[in-house]
Amino acid sequence: MKQHYSEADLLDTYYTQPGESMPVMMHLAECSECASRYERLERKVRGLAACEHDKPETFWARQRLSIMRKVEDVRKPSIFVRSARYVAAAALVLILGGVVTRREPAKAPQVEQQPITIETHDSTDPWQSEELKDLQPVVAWESWVDDETKKNGDRS
Amino acid sequence: MAAFRWNDPSDAPADRELIDRTLSGDGNAYGVLVERYQRRIYRVAYAIVRDEAEADVVTQDTFVQAYTHLARFQGRSELETWLTRIAINRSRDALRRKKFVSLFIVYNDEEGEVMIEPVDDRPDPERQIMSLQLRVAIQRAERQLSSQQKVIFRLRHYENLSLEEIADHLGLRAGTVRAHLFRAIHKVRRELAAWRSQGGSNEAALQ
Repeated sequence: MKQHYSEADLLDTYYTQPGESMPVMMHLAECSECASRYERLERKVRGLAACEHDKPETFWARQRLSIMRKVEDVRKPSIFVRSARYVAAAALVLILGGVVTRREPAKAPQVEQQPITIETHDSTDPWQSEELKDLQPVVAWESWVDDETKKNGDRS
Repeated sequence: MAAFRWNDPSDAPADRELIDRTLSGDGNAYGVLVERYQRRIYRVAYAIVRDEAEADVVTQDTFVQAYTHLARFQGRSELETWLTRIAINRSRDALRRKKFVSLFIVYNDEEGEVMIEPVDDRPDPERQIMSLQLRVAIQRAERQLSSQQKVIFRLRHYENLSLEEIADHLGLRAGTVRAHLFRAIHKVRRELAAWRSQGGSNEAALQ
């Protein structure tokens, strides 16, 4: 007795891709009855699935126009948005500038200073000689008196 | 807006060229791409959302989103495939929104069905009724599907996409798509069986 596939099996075959349901497809190749039923089923389901896509050209033109307007809005943001961007950028610059100026400069590494000793002994200075060094304060005082006396004499 | 038409298809600039021109600021170039693919994108969107106004919105959103991300399009896939992916994702979002809204709407199962007689080359009234029943069975089954199953079933049923194409668009493995599709078809079959138990005949519906 020849076995035939049910319409439910054929429906499964249709949806889950005919080429991969090999047993069914092999049967359809041999059984003209099932093959014609499958063909009718396929036509029926495709007919059910078909929807109206033949819209008038005005529909597509309107849709295209609408898309391009939205795209234009994305491409050229409004004046308000552009102004807001400039304000935000300026504010950012000010904030960053403030942060930079408030930041203290890094301290330079301190070098330990060595005491500088200057040799004051001058061998050519006659007051440093053993003979005259005791007289140096006296001479310095007299020089000072002399200057003061001069000043007083000028006043008189 | 300028009309973007060529007498010879070979004169039409390639997608890559139009993308480059768009990125360098040529607004008309993107218009050409829109005209080239808007029908295809609308068809995919309509297959999923099953609503003309919604499909129109999805199509527009798809092209705007594609424009904003055009610089990131690497060209690893065809532009059409990339656009289709965006359209499918947008359509899924629309389905989810619709599902959320439907939570607050009392839906009468017997009403609200827009029935259009399917085209039949043999205008037998009884057969037309059977076709109608098949359509109703599919519509009822669709309502029971999850969002993912619905998208997969509709892309297969209405757009006749292969499992591999669906898997590619959704970023799934073919085996996963097959499993979802199998569950969806199982529900269609259950609806058909329920209808048969009410006195109809599947065989007649499918002939």
